[in-house]
Amino acid sequence: MAEPVASTSGNGNDNRRARLEGTHLLVRAGEYACALPLAAVRRVVRALAVHPLPGAAGELEGLAEFGGEPLPILNLARLINASPGANPSYPVTVVVWVGPPEARETIGFTADAALEVVHVPADAIVAGDGGFLQGEAPVGGEVVRILNLEALGRDL
Amino acid sequence: MSVPHAPGFLLLRRAGGVWGIANAAVSGLARQNGGYRIATGGGALAADEILGVVESLAVRPAALVMRRFWPEATAGLAVHGALPVVMVDPSRPPAALRFEDGEGETDEGRD
Repeated sequence: MAEPVASTSGNGNDNRRARLEGTHLLVRAGEYACALPLAAVRRVVRALAVHPLPGAAGELEGLAEFGGEPLPILNLARLINASPGANPSYPVTVVVWVGPPEARETIGFTADAALEVVHVPADAIVAGDGGFLQGEAPVGGEVVRILNLEALGRDL
Repeated sequence: MSVPHAPGFLLLRRAGGVWGIANAAVSGLARQNGGYRIATGGGALAADEILGVVESLAVRPAALVMRRFWPEATAGLAVHGALPVVMVDPSRPPAALRFEDGEGETDEGRD
């Protein structure tokens, strides 16, 4: 069972490394909660203004400006085929790295809300499609989607 | 309306987005009904509004992940002010920018 990060601490370097790798940011995307690897999360900000790209698939909302740079914005709920939730009261843009470490790119995800930081042990994850959807795991009484952001840049 | 044949970029608005094209690729610019027709070596482009010309832009390659969800070719991405700008490859312009013959008659300008 996953647990809030602040409630436990590891012993030794291996434990600490394992905990860091299993630390995720939980966000709400439509009907689902999703876990993003915290090491790949750069910023969480109030939803950025997005400029649409004509002809883009629904997953790509468009482009935004962030820190003086152009930022592609993907709709997280669409990426995981989640039904839309109620109108979010505090929608966010989560700025993340995607792709393999040697070729990572910065993009933004739109999400309905940022929830909390949790630890998800690897052995708690039920394998998913082996790509962007790494699997599912129980967190706080809810099954959450564990996302593999390296795969999003790799599966082209 | 003249087009400065100088280093820099022409910025335009079309289909809700802001686009940039290198001045060197532009051979003419003419008003059309309610918009503009931009002549380039790769064909005519359409614009709803001309935002101006800038001397320089920091052009970055478009993220590879964009290709998965947007099939159009680009010459990169940039930011002007707080606006993201898609740089147009004049030899492969996005469909949204292609000038269609039925868009209106030219009423002034030159090519």
